[in-house]
Amino acid sequence: MRQDESDAALVRRVLDGDAEAFGGLVTHHGDRGIRYAMAMLGDAAEAEEALQDAFVRAFRSLRTCREPDRFGAWFLRILVNRCRTRGAMRRRSAAIFVDDEAALEGAAARPPGDPDWREEIDRALARLDGLQREAFVLKHVEGLEYEEMARLTGARIPALKMRVKRACDYLRVLLQEANDARVR
Amino acid sequence: MHESADDPLIARVAAELRRPVPLSPDFDARVMAVVRRAAPGLPSRAWQWLREPRTVAVSPIGGLAMAAGVAGLMFIGVWSAWPWAVSRQPSAVSRQPSAVSGAAAVSGRSVVTFVLVAPQARTVALAGDFNGWDAAQLPLRLEGSGLWTVDVPLRPGRYLYAFVVDGRRFVADPAAPPAPDDDFGAPTSVLTVGGGAVRAAGGSL
Repeated sequence: MRQDESDAALVRRVLDGDAEAFGGLVTHHGDRGIRYAMAMLGDAAEAEEALQDAFVRAFRSLRTCREPDRFGAWFLRILVNRCRTRGAMRRRSAAIFVDDEAALEGAAARPPGDPDWREEIDRALARLDGLQREAFVLKHVEGLEYEEMARLTGARIPALKMRVKRACDYLRVLLQEANDARVR
Repeated sequence: MHESADDPLIARVAAELRRPVPLSPDFDARVMAVVRRAAPGLPSRAWQWLREPRTVAVSPIGGLAMAAGVAGLMFIGVWSAWPWAVSRQPSAVSRQPSAVSGAAAVSGRSVVTFVLVAPQARTVALAGDFNGWDAAQLPLRLEGSGLWTVDVPLRPGRYLYAFVVDGRRFVADPAAPPAPDDDFGAPTSVLTVGGGAVRAAGGSL
C-alpha cells in the first residue's frame, strides 16, 4: 500500500475487493478520528472503541460513500454518530453557567502539552451539554465551517452557532473556576 | 466565524485539543482483523446464494390502482418448508398480495419482496446490509406501470437498506421505518426478519 495513495483510490480498491486497502484509510484518518473521539468521550479506551466501531461500519457501508474523494467528511459523520451512541451526549456533571467576562486570566498562560491543563479541559468539556461539546469540537478543534457542520449533524446553522457560543461561555467560566482552585 | 481567534482562552483550549492523541500501537491491526472477518463477503457469498433458482411468485399488478400515488411499499412473504404461506404487509397497504406461492429454497430463510412504485425511474436497485450495499447485485424488475420488485431470501435478523434509483439516488423505503442510526449519509430503512415469522419493524406509509 502506497502511503501517498489518495482516499478515492483506496476506496475504489476496497470496492473492487481488496479489503487490505482499507488499512490505508485507517492510517489516513485514525489520528484525526482518535482526537475527535477523545475530545467527545474523554476516555482513551472508549474513544478507541468508538473509532474502531466507526471504521468497521464505514467498511461495511463503503458503497454508500458517494464521493470517495471526500471519504474523510463521510467518515467523520459516522464517527460523530458513533460517539453520540456511546453516550457522548451525556453531561457528566451539572454545569454552572455564570456570565463572567473576566474568565481568561491564568489559563491563557499555560504551556501547550501540560497534562494538568489537558485534564482540566477534559473535565470542563465533560460538564458541557453533549450537543454543545460536539459543536465546539467540530468548530474549534476540527475547524469545520458551519455549513459543513449543518450537513454533518443535521442541525441548523443558527442552532449550531448558539451551541458553540454557549460552549465557549461555559468553558471560560469552568476553566477559570478550575484555575482559581489550583491557585488557591 | 472564528471566535477563538479573538479569545485567547478558547484559542488555547482548541490548540490543546488539537494536539495529537496517541493511538494504541495495535489499533490498525485490530481494526483490520475485524475488517478481514467482515470482508469475505457479503457481496460474493450472499450474491451467489441469491442467484440460486427458487420458485417465488408475487402478483402485484392487480394492486397497481390502489398503489397509485403511493411512493413506495413493501410486502413481506414468509415461506417455510410447508406448502402454506403466511404474508404480512405494512398496515397502510390495503390489499393482500393476490397470489403468493412458492417453497423455501433453504430452510430458515424468508423470502422478502421489496416493492417500490417509481414511474419515472429508469432503474431501481436494492442496497443493504444483506448484499454489502452493492446496488449492482440486486436490480429490481419493472413489473409494469412503474412498479419495481425484487425477491430477497433473508435469514432472521435486522437489516438496513435503501433503494437506489437511476444508479445514484438513495431512497429510503417509504413503507418501512427509517433507520434510527442513519449515519451513512444516505437515507436508510430498517427491516427485521424474525425466526419463525417476519416482523416488519413497525411504521407504515
